[in-house]
Amino acid sequence: MTAPRVFVVDDHAMVRAGVRAELGDDVTFVGEGADVASAVDGIRATRPDVVLLDVHMPGGGGRTVLESLRAELPEVKWLALSVSDAAEDVIAVIRAGARGYVTKTISGPDLLDAVRRVADGDVVFSPRLAGFVLDAFAASGPGAPEPEEATDPGLDLLSSREREVMQLLARGYTYREIGSRLFISVKTVESHASNVLRKLQLSNRNELTRWAATNRLL
Amino acid sequence: MLSGVAAGTAAHLRQDPLVVRVAFVVLSTAFIGIVAYGLLWLTMPVAQPGTPEAEAPPRVGWRPRSRREVVGLIVLAIASATLLGQIVQWGTSDLVLPLVLLAIGLGVVWRQLDTDRPLDLPGGRWALAGGAVLAAGGVVLLLATTGQLAAARNGFAATLVILTGVVLVTAPVWRRLLDSRAVERRARIRSEERAAVAAHLHDSVLQTLALIQRHAEEPQAVSRLARSQERELRAWLYDPAVVREGGTWAGLVAGMVADVESDHLLTVDPVVVGDTPVDDAIAALGAAAREALVNAAKHSGAASADLYSEVTPAQVSVFVRDRGKGFDPATVPDDRRGLRDSVSGRLTRLGGTAVIRSAPGEGTEVELVLPRTTAA
Repeated sequence: MTAPRVFVVDDHAMVRAGVRAELGDDVTFVGEGADVASAVDGIRATRPDVVLLDVHMPGGGGRTVLESLRAELPEVKWLALSVSDAAEDVIAVIRAGARGYVTKTISGPDLLDAVRRVADGDVVFSPRLAGFVLDAFAASGPGAPEPEEATDPGLDLLSSREREVMQLLARGYTYREIGSRLFISVKTVESHASNVLRKLQLSNRNELTRWAATNRLL
Repeated sequence: MLSGVAAGTAAHLRQDPLVVRVAFVVLSTAFIGIVAYGLLWLTMPVAQPGTPEAEAPPRVGWRPRSRREVVGLIVLAIASATLLGQIVQWGTSDLVLPLVLLAIGLGVVWRQLDTDRPLDLPGGRWALAGGAVLAAGGVVLLLATTGQLAAARNGFAATLVILTGVVLVTAPVWRRLLDSRAVERRARIRSEERAAVAAHLHDSVLQTLALIQRHAEEPQAVSRLARSQERELRAWLYDPAVVREGGTWAGLVAGMVADVESDHLLTVDPVVVGDTPVDDAIAALGAAAREALVNAAKHSGAASADLYSEVTPAQVSVFVRDRGKGFDPATVPDDRRGLRDSVSGRLTRLGGTAVIRSAPGEGTEVELVLPRTTAA
């Protein structure tokens, strides 16, 4: 596997240095940005595989970077990296297009794993993000399907298998452990996770909006 | 009787209120009584409801607060007394009716305004309007009988024009005054918020940073301090108030995790989906989950554990997972009773279930399920 080309966006030099040190030689660093403007220019120039994106930055935050480049550079994968695990930050950056969300307290090997997974086109769910997803889709349990017009109904519900996968992720299982627990392949687990992420990004179902409103986002 | 003045005076002089009232009436014939009554009414302290002296309904209402107000009211009273005296000197009988009308109207209006009752009571509003109409009628009648109605109308029109002009001319000033008040208010709110944040940071983060500097040689103490401060700050910043204040399952889990982390070398990342108020069964579930965390801290050898809890209408489930050395549940010696009694036993008594999955080398997961039908 070739080393993924990584661009780090964070306004704290210490965090950038720490990420570099932890990922070491397993990835290729193509650049870093300390604010929104330099990040946008640098990413445009270097076209990395993965952008590690800080959510809170002066001048608009990582979400601004993401929104201004996502349509232009669809092949770039985004992994949000933040100290915050507030629901509004997590969901907002995922809905803006990030493929995963990890907190800065993540260990070096886990971060490397997450970067590789995102570079391969998979998604990264931390237990907390899985919990948020379950919370956001909570009202759509098997007993309470809600018919809604003008949207793809599949977007608004988690299938029971997707729900199981999310629950196991929230319980701290790895994809491999989930696969052996549910007797499905790791690839299948990954596709379930991708589907959930897609639903989270595209769904505009009532509960999600309401949940988001009560958590002061969107 | 009218507004408790007689009763108040009687209480002050330790006399029967009836005596005082009779005295007031007698004095009123010589006109002094009315003025004295009015002055006393304006300056007398309001009786506290419930004090033994307050046998008459205590006067609750507006009182002149500052010295300036009192002086103003006295001047007003003297002016009206002089006016009344002059009118009485004229002695024309056709003035009596308008004056009485005016007095009654004013009295009604004052009675209505001079209470704690909200003004939007329907009865109060009608009485107020009636009083105003009475007083206005009295004024018009008074002017008509003294033949000054036309002059007064001209004066009124002129006053109205002047007032309108003044308001229009000074409108920008009023506007700016209002704006600057709003700005001031916003700034004050901001600075108060800032002070609250500063106070919080001082009590928490700065204290912890000082402690960390002092314990710089002890990595364990430092990381424990940093961890607990991080959790506290995070809760302050992000958690909904209901979680911070406790009383719900999510708050209970957060507090429990904080306790376990500070007592043991274990970091726990709790994820709670849904929430419910704490009752006895929920509290017992929390105690069992705590025992599971403590077990993970003591025996697994892992540095971290995952806690996931989901509240559904049917049940509350808790999963505690560590990636430690694990054990074979079949070979647990009989003297190790922590899991069996504190966790399984507790759940069984509540009608729930506890399942322990573990294998040597693969970590342990404790699953606790509490049906909510029994808890409700």
